[in-house]
Amino acid sequence: MKEVLSLAMIELKVNGLAYKTEVRLKSTLLEVLRERLGITSPKMGCNEGDCGACSVLLNGVFVRACITNALTCNGKEVITVEGLAQPGEIHPLQKTFVELGASQCGFCIPGMIIAGKDLLDQNPNPSREEVKRGISGNLCRCTGYQKIVDSIIAVSRQMDEKIS
Amino acid sequence: MIDEKFFSPHDLGETCDLLALYGEKAHVLAGGTGLMAMINKKQLSPKVLIYIGECGLTYINDNGDTLRIGATTSFTDLLHSSRIKEKVPLLAEAVSHIGSPAIRNMGTVGGNLAIGSPASDSATALLALGASLNLISKTETRIVGCDDFFIAPGQTVLRPDELIQEIIIPKTTIGAKWGYRKLGRRKGQSISVVSAAICCHAVGTKCNGARIALGAVAPTPVLASEASSLLEGESVEKDLIDKVAKKAAHEIDPIDDVRSSAWYRRRVSEVLVKRLLLQIFS
Repeated sequence: MKEVLSLAMIELKVNGLAYKTEVRLKSTLLEVLRERLGITSPKMGCNEGDCGACSVLLNGVFVRACITNALTCNGKEVITVEGLAQPGEIHPLQKTFVELGASQCGFCIPGMIIAGKDLLDQNPNPSREEVKRGISGNLCRCTGYQKIVDSIIAVSRQMDEKIS
Repeated sequence: MIDEKFFSPHDLGETCDLLALYGEKAHVLAGGTGLMAMINKKQLSPKVLIYIGECGLTYINDNGDTLRIGATTSFTDLLHSSRIKEKVPLLAEAVSHIGSPAIRNMGTVGGNLAIGSPASDSATALLALGASLNLISKTETRIVGCDDFFIAPGQTVLRPDELIQEIIIPKTTIGAKWGYRKLGRRKGQSISVVSAAICCHAVGTKCNGARIALGAVAPTPVLASEASSLLEGESVEKDLIDKVAKKAAHEIDPIDDVRSSAWYRRRVSEVLVKRLLLQIFS
């Protein structure tokens, strides 16, 4: 039985880079990312799992960093929006969000991009209704959902064209 | 001096030992959607966390007479399971309305029950399915029906040294008629104002073994047993449906809160029961 005292060390891989960091019993993955590692695309909105601004991929699974206990992440891999971009080239979702003006204040956008990526990974050809369901846990308080949905649909079409 | 402890046991025996050792000081952490939110809001300040995500309780098994769902099985696991979709579509339907994709990826069925919310959507479905829970501690295991599990808001019969091991669904409900409907303040990621689930056997218009369950309309998720028994052996027609729905609305004990009023919840309960029965027996 392995006993871990709080203020324990955990190992994390974030966007391809390995980190070791100290955490407390109540530390969340969001605190670790933002305050310890300086990775600030995941935002703290509600801090109770409702708003989706802190969305990340944890071992490939779309989760809320704000209600993920950091100690449960030891040895796992995290992808944030910073990790989606290739060197010198931003991800098609990022590019399309810019081109179609999907970002207003911008606070929800990193979470929206992660939600969009998770959706397209599972369903490359979503209907508008399916996109709405996919981002149903991500709140945009500017209420600019229309262009966010447009952008995700546009990326799914681009992916289609590339294949055909 | 730090006196906080975190454990991530790798089997059930170890988990039970830890629960026996730390008892009320320990909080069990599974998906975190409930517990971590409470910790962030400073409603809880645990000294000991026992994380059960790696102790082998993620499974959906077919055990002959029953289906057994491990406590840490996530809502997404349930949604992706063809076994659940085929054998207990009522549960799949209820789960599809819980939270949002990320919450369903994290949240577990055991956690959703253990937290004791009157508005637990999985509880409404499991009550209608006649499910029971296998509770385990270092000294014993016991099986408690879902209808005996909840005591009050945030309170269940689960002892501090006990853990929900699995949810047991009797196979008698396979092939049964069912209906589920949730009303929230909005379509997505919403806590229920009222949720209703009905499961019964129907031969022609005759009804057998009906179970009508309602959520968010009493201190616990509830079975409307008097309303359910009105259906037993009867030929189900419009007049009887009206009577059953009225009876169900009298069996509940709703409150006024931020999401709705007691009056509205009672009205909607009656309407949902009526609609589900019409849908089942049309």
